[in-house]
Amino acid sequence: MSVIDEVTRELSRLPGIGPRTATRLVYHLMREPGERSRRLSAAIRELADRIHPCPRCGTYTELELCRICADRARDRTTLCVVESAFEVHSIEKTGEFRGLFHVLGGRLSPLDGIGPDELNVASLLERIGEPDAEIAEIILATNPSVEGEATAVYLEGVLRPLGVRVTRLARGLPMGSDLEYVDGSTLAEALSGRREM
Amino acid sequence: MLTQLRLSGFRNLADARLDLPAEGVALVGANAQGKTNLLEAIYYLEIFRSFRGTRDSRIIRFGEDVFRVEGHLEHGADRQVIAAAYQRSGSLKKVTVEGVEPATLGAAIGGVGAVLFTPEDVRIVSDGPEERRRFLDIMLSLNLPGYLEALQKYRQALSQRNAVLRDGGEAAAVRAWDALLARLGGEISHRRVRWVEERGSEFRSVFSEASGGEEATVSYQPGSVDEPPPGEAGSEAWGDAMAEKLDRQFESDRRRGTTQSGPHRDELRMHLTGSGGSDASSEPRDLRHFGSGGQRRTAALTLRILEARTVAERRGRPPLLLLDDLFAELDADRSRRVVELLDRTAAGQVILTAPKQSDLHFRADRLVRWNIHDGRVDRGPSPNPETP
Repeated sequence: MSVIDEVTRELSRLPGIGPRTATRLVYHLMREPGERSRRLSAAIRELADRIHPCPRCGTYTELELCRICADRARDRTTLCVVESAFEVHSIEKTGEFRGLFHVLGGRLSPLDGIGPDELNVASLLERIGEPDAEIAEIILATNPSVEGEATAVYLEGVLRPLGVRVTRLARGLPMGSDLEYVDGSTLAEALSGRREM
Repeated sequence: MLTQLRLSGFRNLADARLDLPAEGVALVGANAQGKTNLLEAIYYLEIFRSFRGTRDSRIIRFGEDVFRVEGHLEHGADRQVIAAAYQRSGSLKKVTVEGVEPATLGAAIGGVGAVLFTPEDVRIVSDGPEERRRFLDIMLSLNLPGYLEALQKYRQALSQRNAVLRDGGEAAAVRAWDALLARLGGEISHRRVRWVEERGSEFRSVFSEASGGEEATVSYQPGSVDEPPPGEAGSEAWGDAMAEKLDRQFESDRRRGTTQSGPHRDELRMHLTGSGGSDASSEPRDLRHFGSGGQRRTAALTLRILEARTVAERRGRPPLLLLDDLFAELDADRSRRVVELLDRTAAGQVILTAPKQSDLHFRADRLVRWNIHDGRVDRGPSPNPETP
């Protein structure tokens, strides 16, 4: 197999990139000065060599403990549980959350062979049970999909007996959207979850 | 109203651009010439799949790579173009409404507002309960906002729960799906029950009229709950009742490795009542097992007429009726009564098929007649010879 084919094949394994896009990217890289490709390849290599999941929360880091877990200024009483590290990134971008995270590494999907043992649930329970743990509230921020909901229900079942407060992200209208264009179920959800003004 | 239909690569039908009169048309042609294919093409724009259950790749005409159907609709001042295409190479399916791809196919279904009557409908009555649930599910998906989404999510949650049960997963991993299943299942059962209750008395009267005085009833038997909540109860009460049953059957579900309660176990029942016929008893008899061929056909037709009324009420306009060889299996008396019922049910556009001119019992004098032969539509003379 030629190098061109090999790079094309590797690129087309990435999400959102089909064979055509992969080919286009490869031809683009070949037109560019070789230095750029070398930099890209070195950066990707660093990703593989230096990044690992944080031993506490599971988000990606190149430090021993991730930046968030290591930050003493963060609120240690609130823990936000998410499906993947990507969501940590999304929530951090809002700047609204000052607590800590816990990455499950997926969601329940028995059809794909993913049960509670395949998720980072045991490490979550360990964190809560540590003698110096200060966690008072756990926010379940799994996706509002069928599997994400079931995962939240499951976690609520195992967390509730521990005496911590368990909350779920609110669902409803996306900001900046026009009622006219919001789909029916989102609107219904927002109606049933309406609040006093 | 469907004003124009454009076809290419669809089964045996020749590529064509057909302008349809407001009244509709009568399609006449021998068997296997393409009558049903044409109705299938129109109904494809309603549900974006074959009503015969044929895979998209098998709809494409032999030797072609793509089929495409486009319908131009007009409702008062509202005009809309719905198109659907499928390409064999790459298995690409594309649906557009006014040139824009909808977010999901579910968001675009029901755009034509058609109701299809086929000789196969008798299976709704004579086959197993899943055929009746399928009838309800398709009809409600097309007419009640949110129904299809609830159904899809319910099925997903159900297969996930069944997967844990099969694998013998821990109790908590099974229970994780119960809240969703109960909420969605409750919503589905509740909406099905409501429809059956709302249409129950109409079922009796339409069946009686079509059959010439015979009596039959329709009822809904939920498998999702032990005790149906009172008539006025909302979907939440149904959800609670379903949660209770899931809970009660929990251990049994785990032993058997499958979910035994839910709307996937519901049944739409039809019974013959009254003492008509040779049987002197007035015990209700299950139509599926004790009905004659004619009675089953009449019951299926009755369900379709109720569907047409539902469409008319929900959309505020008469449905496009697609009648595939409707009178083939009905005797002359039944045919005449059915024609009267249809005439009252839908004053809208009608596209009907028949193998022979003499089988056109419905609006034969008013509908333009098209002959169809070997997939080619030949637009025949107008029904009024005096108009130039």
